[in-house]
Amino acid sequence: MPDTNIVSLPVKEKPTFKSKMARLGKRIVRDRQLLIIFLPCLLFYLLFRYGPLYGLIIAFKDYSVFRGIVDSPWVGFEYFEKFFNAPEFWQLFRNTFLLGFLTLVFSFPAPILLALLLNEVRISWFKKGVQTASYLPTFLSVVIISSMIIDFLSPTNGIVNNILNSLGFASKYFLIDPDWFRPIYIISEIWTNAGYESIVYLAAIAGISPTLYEAAKVDGASRFKMIFSVTLPSILPTVLIMLILKTGNMITIGYEKVLLLYNTMTYEVADVFSTFVYRKGLLANDYSYGAAVGLFEAFVAMALLLISNYVSKRMGGNGLW
Amino acid sequence: MVGQRKFGLFDLFNTIVLALVACATIIPLIYIAAISLSDTASVTQGKVWLWPKGLNFNAYSQVLNDIKIPRAYLNTIMYTALGTFINVFMTCLAAYPLSQREFVGRKYWMFLIVITMFLNPGIIPNYLIVKELGMIDSVWALVIPNAIWTFQLIILKSFFEGSSSAIREAAKVDGASDYRILFNIMLPLSKPALASIALFYFIGHWNSYFLPMIYLNTDTLYPLQVVLRQMLVFSEGSGSSAIVEAAALAPQAKKNATIVLAMIPVLLVYPFAQKYFAKGVMLGSEKG
Repeated sequence: MPDTNIVSLPVKEKPTFKSKMARLGKRIVRDRQLLIIFLPCLLFYLLFRYGPLYGLIIAFKDYSVFRGIVDSPWVGFEYFEKFFNAPEFWQLFRNTFLLGFLTLVFSFPAPILLALLLNEVRISWFKKGVQTASYLPTFLSVVIISSMIIDFLSPTNGIVNNILNSLGFASKYFLIDPDWFRPIYIISEIWTNAGYESIVYLAAIAGISPTLYEAAKVDGASRFKMIFSVTLPSILPTVLIMLILKTGNMITIGYEKVLLLYNTMTYEVADVFSTFVYRKGLLANDYSYGAAVGLFEAFVAMALLLISNYVSKRMGGNGLW
Repeated sequence: MVGQRKFGLFDLFNTIVLALVACATIIPLIYIAAISLSDTASVTQGKVWLWPKGLNFNAYSQVLNDIKIPRAYLNTIMYTALGTFINVFMTCLAAYPLSQREFVGRKYWMFLIVITMFLNPGIIPNYLIVKELGMIDSVWALVIPNAIWTFQLIILKSFFEGSSSAIREAAKVDGASDYRILFNIMLPLSKPALASIALFYFIGHWNSYFLPMIYLNTDTLYPLQVVLRQMLVFSEGSGSSAIVEAAALAPQAKKNATIVLAMIPVLLVYPFAQKYFAKGVMLGSEKG
């Protein structure tokens, strides 16, 4: 980030270090009240946002609670090697990428479609009603949503199995069936987020100039045609930005929900990096191992973000930076 | 959109699809409420649909007489109130200086803050910091380590930027300190923005289960979401065959009653939240 703040421009000759410091000192004195107000925020970020980043060095140490972060002995990449050679590694890798990728593919178009349809509604109370309903699930806790999923899919008296029974099928225990875990997770993600995420696209649609529609109408375009030749191309930049962000977050699976929905029967498809970190790191107290896996996950996520940003720019689209 | 058109085939299709979307969101919630108000026999036989069968409030009186749930409810209220207060207070303290264009080192501070949105060290290092600070098993673990959400900070800072420079200049000339400007002028002027960020913090605290689950070890400190999670895990069991027994059915109405009680505060603030969050989303996507 370039700094134009501290060095003031009108000075003709190159400012010396001493004069820079003097100016800085003056500004600090001038802004002393603001600095005092800002102090709690600074401490917060150093301690709770940068502190954990420093704490990540335990991934390269054999951390023990008694020695603390600083005094635990260095072990280099031992925990990373342990992870890469672990029998679960490829399963975790595959599960994380597949679940993330499938969730992206199936849930990404949902809010766009919803926004396009909402935009075509001309009865305003109906539009408002649908919006109010569809935004709501985002505000429900993941425990409540998981609880509803478990209830609805219960093999004894869940509503889904009741319907299956009345159609003459046998009851099915969806939540212990590995084939069903991904569809359940993805559908619930769409149910939770599609409404809320449509806001961004609705706002983008609202920014489209009406003259474009008028011109299309003069040319005799049908409403259906206008969606594809006016609305969609106009919101494409927004769609691309969202796609980059989502791709960057792809492997950051909603582990809070997975933890509530998976069980030993579905580990083979449901166990992902972050749930593994939780089980090894916190439940089994192997902090260094957990931190190493978490760091690996963060690196992969960062790489994905950079790659998708790069690809988007190369294709002539927008980038995040 | 342009002009008035007649209600065509496309409108019909569109209306039906969107009505289905709305139903798909609302029906599960109504179903939960209906179960919580029905008698055990109807629930067991799967007779309950969108209206309670054998209307009664037994599940609710069970919930209220279970010592764990009212206690958890009170815990949640306490954590949410304290947490939201600390969140809003800290966010104000952070946003005000950063909204001043001349503030020394402003760009550096903003860079330092915004970049944390992209650096995610993961669960373990966060846990260790909280542990080393001796906050485990106390309410502080829930309210201090997330005292500022960067996203909300950016929103409030943008709001302050809209008005503050001129006001601050004028107040400074009159000899007011920055503390007075912040607390006596800026904050009263920013009530809508404060309400908006408070709502998001409120919902965040009310719904959180993972952090309380890992940071708290004592039953009596558990908030509602953690107790609700225990009910899930308990009624679902770890094995697979034990589920079939009928005994597991009785708690369902009770669990759903707990869910309804847990949802009520969120549903109450939801209409207010809805007013604000579209703005928040847009601001965030511009600046983030």
